[in-house]
Amino acid sequence: METMLEARELAKSYGTGAGALKILDGISFSVKKGEFVSIVGPSGCGKTTLLMALAGLLKPDAGAVSFKGKVLTGPSAGIAVVFQDYSRSLFAWKSNLENVVFGMIRNTTLSKAEKRAKGRELLAAVGLDGFADHYPWQLSGGMQQRVAIARGLASESELLLLDEPLAAVDAQTRADMQDLLLELAERFQQTCILVTHDVDEAVYMADRVVVLTRRPTRVDHDIVVDLGDRRDQITTREDPRFLEIRHDVMAAIRRFRAETPLAEKA
Amino acid sequence: MALERWILRFRSLVSLALILAVWQGVAMLELVPRKYFPPIPDIAAGFWSMLLSGELLAGDSLTLGRALVGIVGSSLIGIGLALLGEMVPAFRSAFRPIAAIVQPIPPAALVPMAIFMLGLGFKLYAFVIILVTIWPPYLNGAAALAAVGDVEVKTGRMLGLSERDILFRIKLPAAWPEIFAGIRYAATISLIAVVVAEMLAGRDGLGFMLIRKAFATRIPEVYALMFVCAFNGVVLNALINLLRWRITGWHMRMTERTP
Repeated sequence: METMLEARELAKSYGTGAGALKILDGISFSVKKGEFVSIVGPSGCGKTTLLMALAGLLKPDAGAVSFKGKVLTGPSAGIAVVFQDYSRSLFAWKSNLENVVFGMIRNTTLSKAEKRAKGRELLAAVGLDGFADHYPWQLSGGMQQRVAIARGLASESELLLLDEPLAAVDAQTRADMQDLLLELAERFQQTCILVTHDVDEAVYMADRVVVLTRRPTRVDHDIVVDLGDRRDQITTREDPRFLEIRHDVMAAIRRFRAETPLAEKA
Repeated sequence: MALERWILRFRSLVSLALILAVWQGVAMLELVPRKYFPPIPDIAAGFWSMLLSGELLAGDSLTLGRALVGIVGSSLIGIGLALLGEMVPAFRSAFRPIAAIVQPIPPAALVPMAIFMLGLGFKLYAFVIILVTIWPPYLNGAAALAAVGDVEVKTGRMLGLSERDILFRIKLPAAWPEIFAGIRYAATISLIAVVVAEMLAGRDGLGFMLIRKAFATRIPEVYALMFVCAFNGVVLNALINLLRWRITGWHMRMTERTP
C-alpha cells in the first residue's frame, strides 16, 4: 500500500540558548493509505506539537513531513484537523450547515447550491439530520464535534488528524463517537492519525499505536493492533489480545511516568 | 406574575412614566422655585410651541444628522484602524501612545482648535465628533481582533485561507459583537459632542437652541430640549440596534437564550 504520510527525523525546540526546551527529538514514522494510527505518550510529551507539525501548521526545526510523497511547507489540501476545542473551531456566527459548507472553500467546481446539498448529506452522515439550520452553540459537545468532523470531510480530506477530539465529551457519547469515527473513516476512505491520552481509546480505534517517550520526545514503540477491522465496544474490549496490547502500551507509558522526577511534575 | 410580564414588556414606557412622575412630584413640592423647575405640563407646552413653530424639528434633525454622520464616520475609521493594527502590529504599537494622549481630551476642549483650523460649520462638527468617538470602536475592535483564538485561526489555515481571508472571514466576524458594544457607547458620546460643539460654536442645532433659550430664560423650553436630547439617544441606539441585529444577531441570540 502507498504511503500517505511520512515523518522523518522531526525535531522542534521552543526558545533558544540555555533555556531552550527540546520538545521533539527526531521523530520518524510513516502511515499508509487507509491506516488508522493512534499516537500516545506520557503527559506533556509534545503530542499536540507533533500533530501540528504533521498538519503543516508548525515548521519543524529539522526533519520533514511528506504528504503523498511531497514535502509539506504549510497546510495542504487533503489534510483536515479535528481539534479538541470544537466550540472554538466551529464558527459561532455560522449555522451548522454554513460551517460545513465553509469546509469546501477550496472547491471551485461545485456551485453554491451543490455545496449546500453536499453539506446536508455530510451532516446526515454524522447523524445530524435536521440540525443544519441550528447554530453550533445550540448543540451538545458531542454534536458540535460531529459538525467539526463533517466540516473536515467536506474539505475532501484524505488524511484526518484528530487532536484529542473526544477528550471533552462525556463517556457515553465518547463510545458512540469512537464507532462513528471508525465508520466514517471507512466510508469516506480516510487515513486517520489520532492523538489521545486515553490508552483504551488508542488501542480500540487503531491499526497501529505509536508510543512516544517523554520529552525530548522520540518514538518508543510502534505496536501493531492485530484485532481485525471490525471493532465492538463490548467484545473487542474483552478480547484477550486487546488487553495484552493495552497492557504493553500502558506499561510503556507508565515506565516514563515513573522516571519523571517529582520536581518536574509540580 | 402577569404584572411583572407587563412591566417587562413595556419597560421603556414604564421607566419614562416613572421619571416624569418623580419630576412632577418634585416640581409640585416646590423644593426649587417653580420658575426654575417647572412641572411637566409647562415643559410639554414649551415643547409643543417649539414643535408648532418648526424650530424643534429643524434643529433636532441637524443635531441628529450630525451625530449620525459622525458615528458612522468614526465607526468606519475606528474599525479600519483596528484592522490595520491587526495586519501591521508595528502600527498598533505606534498608535497606542497616540490613542492614550488624544483619547482623554474632552470634546469642549477640542472646539477652539477646530474653530481656528476649520472655521464654523460641518467640518468642525465632523472633526470634534470623530476625534472623541473613534476610540470605543477602535479599542474594542483592536482588542477583540487580537483575542480571536488560535484554534479559529488554525482552522482557517487548514482550509487554505490567506492572512487577509483569515482577517475578514474569521477574525472580523468574531470581533463584531465587541465592536458593536464600542459603537453603542460611541453613539452616546457623539450626541454629547455634537450638542457641546453646537453650544460653543454653532449657529443652529439643539445645542445652539439650548444656549439661546437659556439666556432668554425660556426655562420650560430649555427643559423640553433636554428631554429631546435624551430622546435622541434612544433614536440613535435603536438605529444602531437594527444594524447590530443584522450583523451580530447570532451573538444576541446566543447570549440572550435562557439556560
